[in-house]
Amino acid sequence: MAGILKTVCNLIRGTSAKKDQSPEDFLAKSENFRLLLAANNRTLELMSEMTAQSLSDQTFGMAYIRGMSVRIEAGVRQMVQRLCLMRPGKYDGLKDACDRIVAKLEEALDGRGDRHACSLVLGIERINAGSISEVGSKMAMLGEIRSELGLHVPQGFSITASAFHLFMESGGLDDEINRLIQICDCDGGSLEKLLELEDRIQKMIEAVEIPLVMEREIFKESERLGNVRLAVRSSAVGEDSEHASFAGQFRSELGVKADDLLGAYRKIVASLYSTTAMAYRLNHGLREDDMVMCVGCLEVVDAMAGGVLYTRPPIGDDDGRLVINAVPGLPCSVVNGSSSVDIWVIDRDSLTICDTEVAEKELRYVQTSSGRVRRERLYGDMRFEPSISDKVAKKLAKTALRIEEHFKRPQDIEWALDRDGRIFILQCRPLSVCGVNTSSVSESTEDRAFAILSSGVSASPGIAAGYVFFVQTDDDMARFPDGGVLLSRNARPQLAALLPRAAAVITEFGSSVGHLANVAREFGVPALIGASEAVERLSGVSVVTVNGDTGTVYLGRRKELLKQVKERRSDFGESEVKSVLNQVLQHITPLSLTDPNSPDFKPESCASLHDITRYCHEKAVAEMFMHGRRPVANARRLVGDLPMRYWLVDIGGGTVNSGDGKYIGLEYIRSNAMKALWKGMTAIPWEGPPPVNAGGLASIISQAASNPALVPGVANDMGERSYFIVGTNYCNLQSRFGFHFCTVEGFAGEDPDRNYALFQFKGGGADPVRRQNRSHLVGEALERHGFIVTIRNDALFARMEGVSGEAVERALAVVGYMLIHTRQIDMVMSDQSAVRHYQEKFDRDIEYILSHLSSEYIDRGQLS
Amino acid sequence: MKKIRLLLVDDESDFLTAYSRRFVRRNAEISLATSGEEAIEKVIANSYDVVILDVMMPGMNGIETLRRIKAIDSSLPVIILTGHADSKVLGEGMECGAFDYLLKPVGTDELYFKVLDAVRARQFATA
Repeated sequence: MAGILKTVCNLIRGTSAKKDQSPEDFLAKSENFRLLLAANNRTLELMSEMTAQSLSDQTFGMAYIRGMSVRIEAGVRQMVQRLCLMRPGKYDGLKDACDRIVAKLEEALDGRGDRHACSLVLGIERINAGSISEVGSKMAMLGEIRSELGLHVPQGFSITASAFHLFMESGGLDDEINRLIQICDCDGGSLEKLLELEDRIQKMIEAVEIPLVMEREIFKESERLGNVRLAVRSSAVGEDSEHASFAGQFRSELGVKADDLLGAYRKIVASLYSTTAMAYRLNHGLREDDMVMCVGCLEVVDAMAGGVLYTRPPIGDDDGRLVINAVPGLPCSVVNGSSSVDIWVIDRDSLTICDTEVAEKELRYVQTSSGRVRRERLYGDMRFEPSISDKVAKKLAKTALRIEEHFKRPQDIEWALDRDGRIFILQCRPLSVCGVNTSSVSESTEDRAFAILSSGVSASPGIAAGYVFFVQTDDDMARFPDGGVLLSRNARPQLAALLPRAAAVITEFGSSVGHLANVAREFGVPALIGASEAVERLSGVSVVTVNGDTGTVYLGRRKELLKQVKERRSDFGESEVKSVLNQVLQHITPLSLTDPNSPDFKPESCASLHDITRYCHEKAVAEMFMHGRRPVANARRLVGDLPMRYWLVDIGGGTVNSGDGKYIGLEYIRSNAMKALWKGMTAIPWEGPPPVNAGGLASIISQAASNPALVPGVANDMGERSYFIVGTNYCNLQSRFGFHFCTVEGFAGEDPDRNYALFQFKGGGADPVRRQNRSHLVGEALERHGFIVTIRNDALFARMEGVSGEAVERALAVVGYMLIHTRQIDMVMSDQSAVRHYQEKFDRDIEYILSHLSSEYIDRGQLS
Repeated sequence: MKKIRLLLVDDESDFLTAYSRRFVRRNAEISLATSGEEAIEKVIANSYDVVILDVMMPGMNGIETLRRIKAIDSSLPVIILTGHADSKVLGEGMECGAFDYLLKPVGTDELYFKVLDAVRARQFATA
């Protein structure tokens, strides 16, 4: 290789007019220029992708934003480094500019913001609503109603946010988790990838030592409680907020012995990264790096009965009533949806019981004398006994209303009744209420005839249709089809991971106040819970329509019903993650450095990473080709009958000795890549700009007014001037035709592994929609000729790799043609007939050029 | 064509085997190292065209490894390939003369082209 390079050097020495630069330096400079251009292309592509993401409704997490930001930064730093190598010492100020912008960007990315050191463990008697950032909302609310309202809550303590930070930072757990999320690449929400990620993170958390000081504090508190068995529950900061309840997403462990406390703590921290929780965050656009898991350790109340109470109806209009759900024993089966429940409906003002519904209950959870939690089957009359008396129901209602009054909003309360008849509050949180307008949906007689199930309790309103898919196992979950109707025996909270993809939910057991119902309402997915015999009735059925307002399931897709539904998803507004993305983009994409002749065109004026790329690109082109009005050594002007001004630099073997240092004729070009490109550019003369209608013209004028880069004087500076870099099998063209920038690059040698062609363009004079239409027109034509094309807004990226040299030449010819003949056609891109006209013309012309090229392969004649 | 001699440094062996298999198919000669220390020994004892280096490894971390490799042979291109999207590491890496910084997961093609770029850049720099 070195030998070849020596030859190349000699060749250049022979052709170079100026001797102020050694051929070695020149080669190194050209190579740096090439790498700078490659980094520029990559970086602009990434920026476009990130912008497109901010406009799309696809799900993504912080790992995406971090990953993209650092990739873009890498590209920009690469450009700065290459420019500094091209001209040592001159551009060092860019590094500071880059550091300055990156520091701002990092600030926008920063998660788990304000921290203040606090105890690692806090007893419940020291907790109130003000402790929320240290103990999470669940524990803070419990502490609050204990201290302020004097209600019974279990004895216990919180393992605080400070403890969580200590744990996550010990042994670099935090970093390692971010890394696993980054490499998993599961922003699409693929359940399989999420399951694998969950497994890896959980294993890692299990393996990490809990810091000694934390361990000591935890055991001290546990001892203070008499080393009884404890319920260990999640109390994440941000959990239970009105718009994101995380209902049932995190783990709770019941009946935990003192010795097992640390293990339970690890499991609950790990549940931050359960598939369900990760899918939930992705779909709500919540930051995954911002969650702080505080953990509550509470005595298990030896409950006779327990359940959930809503101080308002969770669905539909407020009718002045509250709803109590109750089961015998510990209330875990209410929230995890594994059993049927008794219901009391009570008028809030008079506290009279309006309605009671006693269900047939199959099992209950009880605490054994050793403190363990056991599942018991119920037999005979026990199955039909009410879980609590009416008197207790009323007392519960009264307590609940005090809590609602205190927090000034509807509450979702988990309660237990102990053997001494005392009511304990295990948890309370704001209730998200979901309105439904049943009157607007009418059911035709015909629809009624197709009803196959009407035993369901409406747990989340709305109407949707889809294929019934019965989910029993984790495997079933992984196979769940997009838009399917989720059918399950139990309303397991884990099923929430499927909600973003499910059209509707039907379960046989569970209650409308359980976790799954809660999350279904948040996602606006119609749900029927407690639909008895649903599995039997719906097995073998393919498509059904589910009416979540009335609790009815119909065979087939009921078009009349579905027509009455508006957009189903509830609007979460701008999500947390999206708002971070937008803030980060502020430091990446806005382009303010547009005029290279302005005194402000300098590193200190760069306000975004895009500005830096623009600056580097401009200066690199200048270093390579021009100094002011004088061309630099080795840059030569192409001469001949040319429509535009072209400059050329040969990095070795791209031309034969022309004998003149300043000019070069086309006949001296030897680079096969450039020849092919040139052929495409010139074989068919450009017919000039298209006739523009008034709309197209107005569009250009308004664009020019809002974008200083399009002002004619500025555009002319680099406009209509193009730069070729050529080598034996290599060609790179940087050009600005009118209002749009283009890069073409290709390598057409003997080894397919090294061959490639790429084409990138962006911009235009017309409005964004017309420009985008042009990109699509060009993209489709390129795809027909073997390119892989990506279009983001008005930017087009096309590439082809791993093909023969001849294929690259043909590709370059196609690109050359498109380069010339798509100029200014963005102006007429709102006209369908014009689009069709160009489609046909392009295909015809390209076919002609390629057939010409093929015949040239046969006789390998001279170009032009 | 001459084979490209690649040194892959990563503490995750799954990762190493996956990539090395794909590179061998592309006519590259692969050496593996699972720690910074091992990488240094190999760089001293053998001749490579490109090093692909992970950052977070037990023992000597990637940046320190990069520094030492550069002290041994400043012209040997080192591509950082990491799962840590960390601007600080990126800045330090580039400052220490890394050829580029890539984030996992990265396609074989993208990585391979980066390797070719590095090989080529080195030839030009030392022509």
